[in-house]
Amino acid sequence: MNRFKKYLALTRAGIIECINYRMSLAVMVFGNLLYLTLIYFVWKAIFASSGSDVVNGMTFESTMIYLVLATALFNFMEMYIVWEMGRDIQSGKIALNLIRPMEYRNYLFWSVSGSFVVNFVFTFIPTFIIVLLVTKGTIGLGINLVYFMIAVILAVVINYEIDFIVGTICLYTESIWGINIMKQAVVTLLSGATIPLAFFPDKLRTVIDYLPFRAIYDTPLTLLLSDGTDQKMILSKLLISLGWAVLMSVISRLFWKVSIKQVTVNGG
Amino acid sequence: MEKMIELKNITKEFKVLNRREGLKGSFQDLFSRDYKIIRAVDDISLSVGQGEIVGFLGPNGAGKSTTIKMMTGVLEPTSGELMVNGRIPYKNRTANSQEIGVVFGQRSQLWWALPLIESFKLLKDIYQIPQKDYDDMMELYGGLVNFEEILHKPVRQMSLGQRTLSDILAAFLHNPKVVFLDEPTIGLDVAMKSKIRELILELNKQKNTTVILTTHDMGDVDALCERIVIIDKGKMLYDNDIRHLRQFFGSYRTLKIRPNEDMDVVEEHLEKELARMDVRISHDEEWISILINEEQIKVLNVLKKVQEKHEIRDMQLEEISTEDVIKKIYREGV
Repeated sequence: MNRFKKYLALTRAGIIECINYRMSLAVMVFGNLLYLTLIYFVWKAIFASSGSDVVNGMTFESTMIYLVLATALFNFMEMYIVWEMGRDIQSGKIALNLIRPMEYRNYLFWSVSGSFVVNFVFTFIPTFIIVLLVTKGTIGLGINLVYFMIAVILAVVINYEIDFIVGTICLYTESIWGINIMKQAVVTLLSGATIPLAFFPDKLRTVIDYLPFRAIYDTPLTLLLSDGTDQKMILSKLLISLGWAVLMSVISRLFWKVSIKQVTVNGG
Repeated sequence: MEKMIELKNITKEFKVLNRREGLKGSFQDLFSRDYKIIRAVDDISLSVGQGEIVGFLGPNGAGKSTTIKMMTGVLEPTSGELMVNGRIPYKNRTANSQEIGVVFGQRSQLWWALPLIESFKLLKDIYQIPQKDYDDMMELYGGLVNFEEILHKPVRQMSLGQRTLSDILAAFLHNPKVVFLDEPTIGLDVAMKSKIRELILELNKQKNTTVILTTHDMGDVDALCERIVIIDKGKMLYDNDIRHLRQFFGSYRTLKIRPNEDMDVVEEHLEKELARMDVRISHDEEWISILINEEQIKVLNVLKKVQEKHEIRDMQLEEISTEDVIKKIYREGV
């Protein structure tokens, strides 16, 4: 319990820090609205040009619900870990964070967990409530919420581990910009954060099935929008997410261990 | 005295890519395997007891910070044995960090956006400091420095001096056995420097904390350290107490004056006037420099003597610099 307290203290500090930057919070909410307006018109045009109400098994309404929620999810999931690590490494501040009385990966995770909580409360929940009110009854409010929460927690872990692996690469390259842009492009595209996976060609979807990214956005949203009756599908999705979470954290742990040894041995 | 830090023949080498010039060179570097080995720390042995304050003195790039980073566990030595408080720091980084405190000169370990008090509370939880110890420490701090004015100020709004002060308080907060201060007074004004020196000295006395301090300011060493280690180009040049160094150097200071009259005339006059005193006079375009051994004669007496006859437009007082000390050690040995 005591052990956990030191992590929660970091969460608390992160929350205070986030709220201190009120303007940035306001800008984020505003930027979010702008983005949503944009995708609304883009997809309206796509559906209009297709000439049918249902494209790839999705109606305009279900596409919009999916994308609005994906955006909201993205806003609190994206914690800019790669930036954070890159800055730490470039400025040498990592030396200070390495000698905190806890492991760096834990220190970093719990340091950003505060902004995580703030973003969940200030962007995801309001967006969800708005979608709920506008669509009146399309989204069920039952057991699917529980499945969703479990999937989100696993998604957070997977996303963090991927970021941590990419951030670790910065130990070798000492630059962040290119790597981070590439990572962001890959993750947002292949996870279904910007385009619902139903719109992907079949071959690409098969590939995506074997990658961890879909567990970040596609799985939680699918579970949220399902009615929660297809137990077999839900269970298999959650198990796959769990598998990825375990695998990714093992990989990131090992990679970090090897890499940090490089640094402490060869200097940086 | 209990041994706190033990270094035996510590060497640290870095592998650095040989970089070529220009755009073409940069592209070639992408595929280059042409590394050179830089020996940043070369065969240093050292033993520090509990409660000691040891000053690491040396010019930029001498290997002071690298040595500190090894002692804190951030870097692993290439060869040699290293123990801090009975542990090998880089192997037990987390356990080790529970018992050390660190201030890395230019960087702050505090939370940028948070008021100082929140940073302290956070450190209290992270280091799991018992409430009573924390309260005692805060009371001690309250008596040592006037920190009411900075306690509720976010760190990013602090002046450099306030920030350094806060960082030092933060480093001592969990009552560590050893505190490493890497150039704590860099960039500070004279008043703040002395305030910080007093604080370090007092905390060392009250808590019997071992303090390892790097600096290239002789003033820091004078004010704080009983013992000095001089490092240059990775090698240890000197490890002894400060009295020994003072004896060796005397306590020389240079008084620089700018008179209203012609330099040559004044200099000639001073040569005669101060002939009985043990001083050396020289001058350049701007200043007349008088090198004074303070064990023989006080600077103020010399100044008084000069003022009797000449009008002084401007004056400066210079401490002997680290570079001078190292030069002299190279030239004459210890």
